[in-house]
Amino acid sequence: MSGTSPQEIRAALQRLRGAGHRLRRRPARETLDALGSVLESWREPDSPVRRALRTEYADAAGFSPAMVEAGMARALAEWTEDALRSLLDRELGGIEALEGSAPRNASGFEVTSVLLAGSLPSPTLLGLLAPLLLRSPVLAKTSAHDPVTAGLVADSVAAADPELGACIEMTRFTGSDRECVEALLGADCVVASGSDQTIASIAARVQPPRRLVSYGHRLSVAAVAADRPVDSAVRLAEDIALWDQLGCLSPLAVFLTDRDRGGAPAFAAELAKALADLEERWPRGPISPRASAAIKRERDEAEMRAASGAPVHLHRGAGSSWTVVAEADSRIRPAPLHRFVRVHPVAGVAGLVEALTPVKHHLASVGVGGFGDRRREMTGALSQLGVSRICSLGTMQAPPLSWCHDGRGVLLPLARLSDVDGAVFEL
Amino acid sequence: MSGADPARSELDRRILAWMGEPEAAEDEARFEDLALQLFAHQFARCEPFARFCRARGLTPRDVETWREIPPVPTGAFKEMALRCFPAERECHLFRTSGTSTRRRGELHLDTLALYEASLLPSFERHVLPDLGGPGQRVRMLILASSALEAPDSSLSHMFGLVLERRGDPESGFLVEAGELRTGHLLDGLEQAETSGVAVVLCGTALALVHLLEAMESAERRIALPEGSRVMETGGFKGSSRELPRDTLYQRLHRSLGVPPSRIVNQYGMTELGSQFYDSVLRFPATPRRKLGPPWTRVRIIDPESGDEARDGDIGVVTVLDLANTGSVLSIQTADLGRALGDGFEVIGREPGAEDRGCSIAADEMLQGDAASETRERGDHHLP
Repeated sequence: MSGTSPQEIRAALQRLRGAGHRLRRRPARETLDALGSVLESWREPDSPVRRALRTEYADAAGFSPAMVEAGMARALAEWTEDALRSLLDRELGGIEALEGSAPRNASGFEVTSVLLAGSLPSPTLLGLLAPLLLRSPVLAKTSAHDPVTAGLVADSVAAADPELGACIEMTRFTGSDRECVEALLGADCVVASGSDQTIASIAARVQPPRRLVSYGHRLSVAAVAADRPVDSAVRLAEDIALWDQLGCLSPLAVFLTDRDRGGAPAFAAELAKALADLEERWPRGPISPRASAAIKRERDEAEMRAASGAPVHLHRGAGSSWTVVAEADSRIRPAPLHRFVRVHPVAGVAGLVEALTPVKHHLASVGVGGFGDRRREMTGALSQLGVSRICSLGTMQAPPLSWCHDGRGVLLPLARLSDVDGAVFEL
Repeated sequence: MSGADPARSELDRRILAWMGEPEAAEDEARFEDLALQLFAHQFARCEPFARFCRARGLTPRDVETWREIPPVPTGAFKEMALRCFPAERECHLFRTSGTSTRRRGELHLDTLALYEASLLPSFERHVLPDLGGPGQRVRMLILASSALEAPDSSLSHMFGLVLERRGDPESGFLVEAGELRTGHLLDGLEQAETSGVAVVLCGTALALVHLLEAMESAERRIALPEGSRVMETGGFKGSSRELPRDTLYQRLHRSLGVPPSRIVNQYGMTELGSQFYDSVLRFPATPRRKLGPPWTRVRIIDPESGDEARDGDIGVVTVLDLANTGSVLSIQTADLGRALGDGFEVIGREPGAEDRGCSIAADEMLQGDAASETRERGDHHLP
């Protein structure tokens, strides 16, 4: 962990530039192999890193160990060295692009700083490995809500390849420390996640030729049709319960086109049962009084809507543990998170699009169940809205390593590209 | 007066009588009696409220103390008309602030008598305790729109009444067409400084920040005469000018010479007929806390259990207000607070506090300001 003064951050950036210089003298394949080993250690359930996630991380981030284990198993199942290689193939045309021997070459920046936010491990893991894969060393500012994961990534990289390990350092300071932020923004490439306000503030301070890669807060929803699989509610409940609904891939609302199987109230009841079962297996973590108050408020407001005669149904677990509200309309309402989901009726794909339009600029993922012969119509409409991932229920929390995060890709935003005309090789 | 409904008229009469007593005092038995009667009245006349209570297994027959009356969340005022009188008797409508994408809460009134009777004694007790009794005029500069400009703002209505009853001829509103009349205001403040007339500067926190920015950019400082005070109210509603209350008070002290011990925060909302004030002017030797009039009660509710929070624990601020005879008397606010002796404090959200996850609450996307609903009143739309 680097120190917290601006001078120490600048010194870390300088060290990383040197380490990056040494790294780039090695074949890119060595880096790929090392990162493949890192992913292998993260996938192994009994590895030290997974034990640390179940204990230190779960405690620091406020999640139950059982949920963390289930979430990591699901998230990492397909994150392999082969998946990394496929990512390189898909976005850069293959590892040759990093060796300078492809028609279109790619290289990382001299040094990349990553401002981590949020509290989920897999975005942190990928956020730190991606620049390394491009052989750009990384200085990461840890998230206030997860002081553990970034250090685990650094340790596992160092264990797999000490020279690569010298290319990743951590720093910790509060976001209000402007001098430290300025020092961190001195990297050639800056990756930042956070609220629109945070991103705007950073964007104003990172000007070309330096590059800013920003990821704003996002939300996800589910869309379910009458021909959904029978276990849809169970699968969707898992998507909701994993990471206590705090990830940008966590569905906050469900839109139901079902008119034949009881509609929103029936599906809400199924979902409530599934969430109650999951609370036994993957208990939700503790939450702040403010979050608990928001849940209470939204529950009470739902009860008032029901009392006014609207066909609104509330299902609730003990305390604030989980909540399902079957709404009477498709209007998007406040989402208190922490396993609080609303089920809205919509009229077909057109109704779904209409309901999502007010939030289209913030949509990340839509989990779908059913839609049969209307699937193409549905995926086309959602893509048009700007949704960057459409997937089956039960897989919302397991995006492939190559998911085009925010529709932009994983490596491309971090890379500098260089096209080489074929004639050059004929000289 | 509410008129047609004899039961309601009788309740209004008894509550108004209490409000009109020169030294209205705490009286638990009187409060209990009126609260239970008012609950029964509202249960009988406001169907959504009655259904809400019945869903919790609570009817006037079951409720034995005011503490058991179920509080209605403020958000419900955005969804439905909560009134205990026929719609045709409505004489006034107060609305919460809002935008084109945001629903506004509405308080329907068939009389303003209780609202006005409640606000004056509280304002006088907590903002003017040392500036003479009723009838004595003081200099009041109001950083808000007048009720003529904002007829649905309960805050503007309140300031209008306070000005009418206690303001001197130089007093007035200093926001016009949504703009703070900075020049006029600074002239007024400098005139007070020169003449030695104590000023009561009232306004929203956001309007005060605009004043401070204008003064700071012009490098102007004013030392308001002894006895001057500031009454501020409202949150920042996601404004980029959001700042901690302590910082606001320090800046007010530096620019206007009014120390924090003479700055009073008023806690109120459109849905409530009564307001709460910081105790600093009335009880300067004791810790700052919010106090309300005797016809109100505040409970801090543990959101997990729904029970009253233990002393000192953080919970949801719920208010029972006998001034709300025409709507519902028991309100669950969107604020967190903590009991503090005979009063309470409101716990604000730290400006810039990071959320735990990378998901975003839908209301933040839609409105950009859901994170902090400290207070909502149909007013203060300064840029």
